[in-house]
Amino acid sequence: MTAIPLHFELPENLTATKFLKKLAKKIEVEITSQQYTIKSFYDSFDWRLYGADIVCEFNHSRITSQLNLINRKTGELIAQEKMQDIPAFSKDFPKGRLKTLLEQKLEMRALLPICQLPYEAYCINILNKDRKIVLRLQIDEHEFLTNTINLLPLKGYEKATKSISYLMKNIFCLKPIDSTVINSALKQQKRKAKDYSSKLTIKLKPEMPADEASIVIYRHLLQAMKVNEAGTIADTDSEFLHDFRVAVRRTRSGFSQIKNTLPAEVISQHADFFAWLGQITGLTRDMDVYLLSYKNYQQALPLSLREDIAPLQAFLKQKQQAAQKELAKKLKSPEYIKQLMAWEHYLNQPLPKKSKESNAKMSIKALADQRIWKVYIRLLKEANAISESTPAEALHDLRKTCKKLRYLMEFFQNLYPADEIKSLLKALKGFQTVLGDFQDYEVQELKIKQFSEEMMDNKTPSNTLLAMGVLVQYLDSMRCAARKDFAKQFALFKQAENKAVFKKLFAHKA
Amino acid sequence: MKIIATYNIKGGVGKTSTAVNLAYIAAENGYKTLVWDLDPQGASSYYFRVKPKIKGGSKKLIAGDRGLDGLIKATDFENLDLLPADFSFRNLDLVLDARKKPTQRLKKLLAPLAKEYDFIFLDCPPNISLLSESVFEASDILLSPIIPTTLSLRTLEQLKKYIKDSKLKHIQLIPFFSMADKRKKMHREIIESLAESHPDILETVIPYASDIERMGWERMPLGGYIKRGRSHDAYQALWQEIIRRTL
Repeated sequence: MTAIPLHFELPENLTATKFLKKLAKKIEVEITSQQYTIKSFYDSFDWRLYGADIVCEFNHSRITSQLNLINRKTGELIAQEKMQDIPAFSKDFPKGRLKTLLEQKLEMRALLPICQLPYEAYCINILNKDRKIVLRLQIDEHEFLTNTINLLPLKGYEKATKSISYLMKNIFCLKPIDSTVINSALKQQKRKAKDYSSKLTIKLKPEMPADEASIVIYRHLLQAMKVNEAGTIADTDSEFLHDFRVAVRRTRSGFSQIKNTLPAEVISQHADFFAWLGQITGLTRDMDVYLLSYKNYQQALPLSLREDIAPLQAFLKQKQQAAQKELAKKLKSPEYIKQLMAWEHYLNQPLPKKSKESNAKMSIKALADQRIWKVYIRLLKEANAISESTPAEALHDLRKTCKKLRYLMEFFQNLYPADEIKSLLKALKGFQTVLGDFQDYEVQELKIKQFSEEMMDNKTPSNTLLAMGVLVQYLDSMRCAARKDFAKQFALFKQAENKAVFKKLFAHKA
Repeated sequence: MKIIATYNIKGGVGKTSTAVNLAYIAAENGYKTLVWDLDPQGASSYYFRVKPKIKGGSKKLIAGDRGLDGLIKATDFENLDLLPADFSFRNLDLVLDARKKPTQRLKKLLAPLAKEYDFIFLDCPPNISLLSESVFEASDILLSPIIPTTLSLRTLEQLKKYIKDSKLKHIQLIPFFSMADKRKKMHREIIESLAESHPDILETVIPYASDIERMGWERMPLGGYIKRGRSHDAYQALWQEIIRRTL
């Protein structure tokens, strides 16, 4: 069955008032309001709502302000709530359906204004004999876009929707259009939806010389750093710093893993800068992680202690803010700007036709095959050597090797069949999770112990310290569980099926 | 999803106005809410200007072949839907009796709506019957309006005993005073004396008021035509107290 058109465009010469006069001759309409409204679209920086086919619009007028979540594909209203201001984080929304939905989709990301659209909104009800509303209409009279008329169906009154839609299309000869104006509004501001994603999508050609491909990769990573810089400095949400750090780490990984493509002296000149960036961002990120884990910490405690842990959150917040302030200062420093510009300047220089670096003019596909296969074999060797009695350091080293492999595969993923490389990345991610958990729980256990010592000097209530003790115990049990799970997860990763795909994709030319 | 039944063995105690007004407040607070008018008299359907008629009547409804979703009507208020009554609901007991596990039917029928709604209010007819047993099985909260008279209190005790005897451990019985007339000495005395002896009774008291009676004239929940006043504030307070006690 074809869907009934619900959104129509009004011809240029037809104003809302003129159209309403025409409509009133055909059916009984009740105009409930006419008001100047500003529609602001909201989403996270990485478009989590749009990606989930949700449009979040805040319609603000003199009389009322309402936040709507709308299905981008069907135009169906998923949730709405009257509110005056939009909190930055879903956790700060009033309890209700809207909050639940936003929490699921946004997680730790802030809800940010994306673009605005002013318009005159006419709200109209279509009533039946009992004066019950059977359909709502809204005419949006825009200044810069064409005017639209939107049918807002009501459950159980499909017949009314169908007949009014027929009237619009066949009697008034209006043109059906897309359900949302978000894309037109973005276009006006020369933007496009999903113009940022933390996922790497680097387009490389297999025959591209490796030095040229390296430049493409580094430019992409530099761009990621630059777009996340302002949000990191402003501490808009913790993901800006996270993505900034990932771009730094990937660049550093590139320096060590895509070797001998760019001049060694250039790499060594900039490597120190990226190492410094890794170091100065570490403390703030650690504090962000503890704060993000706080809810889990609380849940891990017995009910009687859940309230007692609250001073830990305040302590973490204080530490995070101090670290963030320091970080922001460093990211605004002339030294940082100078070094970043130097790196950018280098990446924009034309490459020499000849290079003394051994891999510079090799095809990127051949180099990618070689590097990925080599690191994969190293990973298997390191993981195979791990037994129940192996010290934790070996697992930490293995975690680093996994990260190197992951970054290499992500840099070069478009050189390989999408479904096969995606399945390998998925398997690797699964394996990385257990190694990540093992190390994270260990570090957190040590850190919480250290924090409790610091807090002890600040006259912290004894029950808080008791709760932190219980938390340390919990983290320890989780660390042990991750350690036990290692063998199972490794067996899953090294299974013959994955091995065959690794071999097929990367080994033949290595 | 929480299922709240407004129920009392006695009739005329304010069950429908409670269901309709609390559902309106829940919806206004952003919760997707449904009112199921189980009373063949169709008073909640009337308040929402929806015809008390469903396709196929109670037989097809209870058979559950088509699901409840297709029978639901949007009200004139955001986030608030209604499953209308039907005159055939007068025979719901008989229809239920003809099914296997009749007391489980309502619960089964409501289960698919869990994703869509945050609150479902069941506006129940009076009496203890097979239908009310089915309502008890399906509900999380049994909200029982009581008029501050000795007879009403007797029925509350009967209900408590019934819940205990039937081992309905999942259900939370929440009684509150409804249609209380402060001009009546007996009403005042009963409310005062019971506040101490029955801590389970909510503190909020819904008054006997002409603006609540006006719902039938306006054909909409109280909040649809007045934005402040004693009755309006009382329902708001009642909702807040229920939320505090149950969520």
